Amino acid sequence: MVVVHYAVIYMNLSMNFDDWAVMDFFVSMLMVGIGVALLATGLFTSYFGAGKSQKIGFALLFSGVATLVIVYALTFDTGLGVADQFHEKEFKQALVSGIAALAGMMVGMFIILFVLMKVDTIDDLEDLDLEDLEDLDLDEELKKLEEELNEAAGDEPAGKEEAKEEEE
Amino acid sequence: MEAEYADIAIIMGITGAMLSMLGMGLLIAYYGSSKTRNVGFLFLILGLGLGYYLTTTGSAVELHNSLLAFVGGMLGGVLGIIAFLVAIIKS
Repeated sequence: MVVVHYAVIYMNLSMNFDDWAVMDFFVSMLMVGIGVALLATGLFTSYFGAGKSQKIGFALLFSGVATLVIVYALTFDTGLGVADQFHEKEFKQALVSGIAALAGMMVGMFIILFVLMKVDTIDDLEDLDLEDLEDLDLDEELKKLEEELNEAAGDEPAGKEEAKEEEE
Repeated sequence: MEAEYADIAIIMGITGAMLSMLGMGLLIAYYGSSKTRNVGFLFLILGLGLGYYLTTTGSAVELHNSLLAFVGGMLGGVLGIIAFLVAIIKS
């Protein structure tokens, strides 16, 4: 009889801070995030902006590119003599983690919006009595409104009141 | 793509979906109308199910480090947008 052994590997959610690679995962992705945000906002501002704001857009664009180049130089061997601060393998893992989590969030939001659009969200639709609307005579309602307005304005027309005020 | 990166991508994708399900589920369950509230609770249950799957199944992905990377990236994005707003407002 063959007994199959399954090895259940649990997720490593270590609370021991010695296991946390803050420099390789957090700091590197923080810099990448700043760089991408500056690059994207700089692109938009330099393209759609005019005058002073366009110059700011170019400055932001340059800052974003510079940040990303610095991160690249700190991670990969570029031959510039810069000491590597981030490990290449961990940096790639961090990048995959960040992009995958963002993609997962987008998929989750898409599912939520899809379901919400399919669900009938109006509560009181049954309470609406559409027969009342069908019986409504718009001309009669309009005449009633005009009569009410005339009563509220009084007997004298507005032109005579203005003339009296001018004479005074 | 190496198997390790594929594992990380799958696990972090599920983590992202779980986060949006839990967050939006809470909002919809609290602020939603009588009909959408039920959908909010459904999303909450789905999010909890994904969380249970993440903690009990999967591979030897170092989730704490991957979450650090995700939080770092989000924080960096927010800081970048704040820098953009400061530059625009100050000009």
